[in-house]
Amino acid sequence: MSCDEYQGLLQDDVTRNLEPDRRKAVDAHLLECADCQRELAVLTALISSLDHQPVIEPPGDFSAQVLASLPRQRAFYPSPWWALAIIPILAFAAWLFRGPLLAGSFELARRLNIGPGTLGQLRLPVPSSVTAGQLAMVPLVVVGLSVALVVVAATAGRAYIEA
Amino acid sequence: MVREMEATDEEVLVQRAARGDEDAFAVLLNRYKGMMYSMAYRLMRDPGRAEDMAQETFIKAYAALPGFRGQSKFSSWLYRICYNTCISELRKRKPEVELDEAMAVDIDGPVEAYRTKGIQEVVQDEVSKLPDDYRVAITLYHFNGLSYEEIAQMTREPMGTVKAHIHRARAVLKTRLLERVGWENLKEVMLQ
Repeated sequence: MSCDEYQGLLQDDVTRNLEPDRRKAVDAHLLECADCQRELAVLTALISSLDHQPVIEPPGDFSAQVLASLPRQRAFYPSPWWALAIIPILAFAAWLFRGPLLAGSFELARRLNIGPGTLGQLRLPVPSSVTAGQLAMVPLVVVGLSVALVVVAATAGRAYIEA
Repeated sequence: MVREMEATDEEVLVQRAARGDEDAFAVLLNRYKGMMYSMAYRLMRDPGRAEDMAQETFIKAYAALPGFRGQSKFSSWLYRICYNTCISELRKRKPEVELDEAMAVDIDGPVEAYRTKGIQEVVQDEVSKLPDDYRVAITLYHFNGLSYEEIAQMTREPMGTVKAHIHRARAVLKTRLLERVGWENLKEVMLQ
């Protein structure tokens, strides 16, 4: 390797980011090269200086100014898991409006030409004890769970983005 | 042991501040104001704007604290807010000078500057002349003590780009340090 190549490795050597094999090679080269020794000395001085830059204190009234500017009202950040509370709310709403919802579901099934025969064609493992009314609730449950999932994801996403 | 106690103490303070306890927030503010101001000062290169950015950092942090879930250290979370605040401000300004232009800038005569300022200040001065990308990477790595990976995450740049910025910035700083301080003076300082 040339001196230029060795000097390219010196930064990683000083900051201890060099693999052991390369480090050995650099150390061996340094023993016999005055130019690279000088390069290492300058880099060591620079990196030590960069690592020990002092903390600069802000002006004396900094804290007072920040405290005086704090917002009185803060955004509400519910835990994403609180959003799961939407599931029983949706279930209760579905039970309250079960009449029109079931009628709507039956009407939709009729228009889409979906009936017991369709289920048989799809070979879905539906027990014979399940009534048509219960089956009609399935899309409602799917929609409800999807809404809950979107709310959970949006709440978690908002907290992540703003943080 | 002391560190563990400090961490627990900090967790309690953060929880209290998240619930709106301004006294708890004031303790955190006093603990981190130097770090945030220094970071903003190094990124913005102007004391007035650094103060504005550091203040904005704490105000944003207070507003967002209820959403802080403790998945990272509180200090890392503050760094990220400070970084985002400074970067969005820097992007509003006109395009930066290139790295080779920055190398050509020389306000003080070589060696003379070192005699009045010392190595530390010469380095700080030269860091402030670097283009934004290089100055940000060098500051986050050396001053904030972040790893390449953490910087890449924060700046949303590939790790290779971060490493390249840091390496090139150090190469420039090394040349400038040698020009301004002189090898004989550097040798003298290192032997002390």
